[in-house]
Amino acid sequence: MRSRSIFGFDVYILTATLMLLTVGILFVYSSGLGISGDALSHEYVRQIIWAVTGLVILVSISLVQYASLKPWIPYAYLLGLVLIVMTLLFGRVVNGTRAWLGVGILGIQPSEFMKIATILAFAVYLERAGNSIKQIPYLAAGSLLFLFPMALILMQPDFGTASVFFPIFLGMCYMAGAKVRHLMFIGLTALLVLAFTMLPAWEYYIHGSRIPAFEIFSNVRVKLMVLAGLAAVALVALVGLMMLKRRSFYWTIYSIAILFLSLAASLGTRAVIRDYQIMRLIVFLNPYVDPRGAGWNVIQSVTAVGSGGIAGKGFLQGTQSHYHFLPEQSTDFIFSILAEEWGFAGTLLVFGLFLVILLRGLYIAGNAKDSFAGYMASGIVTMIFTHFIVNVGMAIGLMPVAGVPLFLVSYGGSSMWTALAGIGILMSIYQHRYRY
Amino acid sequence: MSDSWNKNAIPRSRAIVFGSLVTMLFLGYLGHLFSLQVVDGYLYTVRSENIKRRSAVIPAARGEIFDRNYDVPLATNANSFAVEINPALIARGEHDEIFARTADLLGIQAADIQRRIPASSYHVYQQIEIRSAVPFETIVQLAENIHDYPGVSWATKPVRTYPDAEASAHLLGYVGDITPEELQVLYNRGYNARSVLGKSGIEQQYDLLLQGEEGRSIRTVDARGRRVGEDDVEILAPEPGHNLVLTVDRRIQRLAQAALGDRIGSVVVLRPNSGEILAMVSYPTFDPNQLYGNGAGRAFSQLRNDPRAPFLNRAIQSSYPPASTIKILLTTAALEEELISVDDTIFAGPHYRLGNRIVNEWRPSGFGRINILQALANSSNVFFATIGHDYLGTERLLSYASEFGFGIQSGIDLPGERPGLVPTPEWKRRVFNSPWVGGDTVNVAIGQGFLSVTPLQLANMLAILVNDGVLYRPHVLKEVRDGHTGEVIERVEPEIIQTLSLKPQTLQNVRRAMHGVTRGGTAEPVITTPVVEIAGKTGTAEISSETDDWHSWFVAYGPYETTDPDEQVVVAVMVDAANEWEWWAPKAANLIFHGIFADMSFEETVADLRRRRRLWYM
Repeated sequence: MRSRSIFGFDVYILTATLMLLTVGILFVYSSGLGISGDALSHEYVRQIIWAVTGLVILVSISLVQYASLKPWIPYAYLLGLVLIVMTLLFGRVVNGTRAWLGVGILGIQPSEFMKIATILAFAVYLERAGNSIKQIPYLAAGSLLFLFPMALILMQPDFGTASVFFPIFLGMCYMAGAKVRHLMFIGLTALLVLAFTMLPAWEYYIHGSRIPAFEIFSNVRVKLMVLAGLAAVALVALVGLMMLKRRSFYWTIYSIAILFLSLAASLGTRAVIRDYQIMRLIVFLNPYVDPRGAGWNVIQSVTAVGSGGIAGKGFLQGTQSHYHFLPEQSTDFIFSILAEEWGFAGTLLVFGLFLVILLRGLYIAGNAKDSFAGYMASGIVTMIFTHFIVNVGMAIGLMPVAGVPLFLVSYGGSSMWTALAGIGILMSIYQHRYRY
Repeated sequence: MSDSWNKNAIPRSRAIVFGSLVTMLFLGYLGHLFSLQVVDGYLYTVRSENIKRRSAVIPAARGEIFDRNYDVPLATNANSFAVEINPALIARGEHDEIFARTADLLGIQAADIQRRIPASSYHVYQQIEIRSAVPFETIVQLAENIHDYPGVSWATKPVRTYPDAEASAHLLGYVGDITPEELQVLYNRGYNARSVLGKSGIEQQYDLLLQGEEGRSIRTVDARGRRVGEDDVEILAPEPGHNLVLTVDRRIQRLAQAALGDRIGSVVVLRPNSGEILAMVSYPTFDPNQLYGNGAGRAFSQLRNDPRAPFLNRAIQSSYPPASTIKILLTTAALEEELISVDDTIFAGPHYRLGNRIVNEWRPSGFGRINILQALANSSNVFFATIGHDYLGTERLLSYASEFGFGIQSGIDLPGERPGLVPTPEWKRRVFNSPWVGGDTVNVAIGQGFLSVTPLQLANMLAILVNDGVLYRPHVLKEVRDGHTGEVIERVEPEIIQTLSLKPQTLQNVRRAMHGVTRGGTAEPVITTPVVEIAGKTGTAEISSETDDWHSWFVAYGPYETTDPDEQVVVAVMVDAANEWEWWAPKAANLIFHGIFADMSFEETVADLRRRRRLWYM
């Protein structure tokens, strides 16, 4: 026991965190270099400042009894919502998204901190709900805690940040013992909504010719007719279920409900999702649809990653990055630079460090003193995991470009503090894991 | 694992499943990365190190803007060359030399280049424009000696030109390079750092329609930017922007501009039965051609520092007290509410007194007992102060002002429209922290004080009366046409924004009263055109009691009575008090009406009226 902790810290997570921070600062520095090797930006200096202040936050939180935070959580959640609303009203527009609040060069992204606030609030809810989370009404009511911030963040519009909330919800519910078929229902519906929204664009950009059956997705009248048909079939199945009590009827209704809901929701999503977001999803399926426009990022990033080879081109030696072929290379595409300059070896290192944090985080979740702490830890692990999967997936062409930073590595103060605060909470749970 | 798995918290099986999922996804990603970096790594290495596809942008032609006749464009594009430098392609230490040589060639100072490409951006891989509108001979010279100019290149660049520049500068607006702040806001909407953006007027309002889509020529180059393979040029043709057809008639536009002349002020001409703007002029004006390209900065700052504010479109972007023109509204309100009939008379003496607020009649002896038709024709202050304060009262007066569209934007499709102001007791308390008094109502009734309106709003007030209570949204865009084929893509339909249910009798009497203004009333001496019967109202606003400066208004429509509403037009003229007093607004309107209905240019109008001996004032 003693060997694993200095002053009660979890040494594994702490070491992995410090190493990732160092890697991050190195590559933020690298991303700021021009062709001739001069520093074009001094983002790395600020990155160091954020890392150090973030570590102070981590240590402070880890020393606090997490239970004493509980009364403050509702206020933190509401404050977060208020800050996001303020951002919508007075925020600064950066890259077409109104996500920044602040004066001069000092700005914060309240939507980043909102992730932690939502996790904490939902952990409180899950603890109160206990076993009832297996019931649909409790699950639905809890989802509201996520829907409010997601809706507000979508209005910014920041599709990437909003989408991170969704897996966190599923992950926490799963770990809290919600029924898998309920979660599958939610997950499948969300996937199908996205697919149905996308299909008309897919038909146009990728398939190239018209498919008559796709009238269902593009023609509102046909869509309404199909919806009516689905409702009729569901009604028949419902009558069947009541009379015959056969399991197969349940699953019929289950699948039809998914189809019905996602088709109905796709009526509204085209109004919410912007054209450029659709285009990002399309180029994810095939970047060569628009190789000079939206597909550019994906092609350049994959080329950078692939050209890294086994050992990489060497630190500061990347060509793709220093020619500034990659947009947003210190935030969204930091992994591409790392993979280019350190190769597969560097990739392995970063994967290993994140795996340590995630698996240790799950272990801490399981060993938590109470369920509240376990849910918090699960939420934080899911958050870090989601960011990793989306960001790295984006850099290697497995995920659409969504503007989600790689925690601890990407440039940015708000995401840095969010990550380190989250890890601080994990530490606090670990330190106070014994019942006295 | 010495710690015991806590039974109260996370189900152990689920944590294991979750952990396995994490591990599996990690391994899946690693597998993909292994194939990318290790198995296929050499493929990407070749691609990144030896061959790059470098693309050059072919700018899209900005859509042209036409007047309603759709023949000669008001805004079009001329081809020109721009010289660019990519600083990252110049070897370190050679920048100064290359800059000096290039400056020499272009006939500019090396310092001009240094200012655009400071030493801190020598490594930025980007074409930076050094000079636009470069003569073709210079480009030929550059092309022949291109080896002496590493990093220097040229591009064809369409330049926006406005053949009829000053007549419609405010209406059309001007274009300029996108600023970093604008780009932050417009990012993701098809704009990029090279975009040329409409900065005011139609150019700004319909920028997205005018933009078009950039094309690209893509060639394959090696890591040093040298071309590999001559034939391998792929061209993605640019898509030109849409052409816009305006409701404006450029002959009326020129006529109105000339009639206003060098007087600070504005003119609006619109069709009441559709809301189409036929002309909109504001003076002082500017030359939009000078605001783009070389020397744009100087021209811009000169215009911006001009105290007469040439960028201001005075027809919609500034508001003034309406003066006596508001008496049209009072006449309408009093008749509609049946507070007075056209036969009733009121005694209009030399003064109207309310507490210590005294309104003087402009004719020192007063008018004696007069009816409302005579009162409007003679613009009696005492009569309308009485109507406004004693008959209508504050609440009704202000509600009529609001219903006629004062105090809110009309929604015209031009940026920057001002709402003007209808003062209310609540507004006065908030702004001045003092209560509304009877004198405030009297002030509104005679068009002075806080009430302020734009020339367009006054034109709209008249449009309502001409059009039997229906107000169409004033608009400038008539059609959107395809940039290639000229096919109509969208046609703007008239849109009703306000319907007042006024009695036919009221409308008829108000029009009769306005006709009396030009036939026997205050405006008779100057409304001399024989080709059309005009009905309207003059207005003269004292802006300060110390100086002898007056705003001059005239708002009118013609023909007074017609069987064909399509031929009716409303003209509103506003001449600022900054000009020498010459009671110009009705005089200008007289010229404009004559020109429109005799189908003549300004010069022809002047000559024709002189010939008929009806132009005593010019």
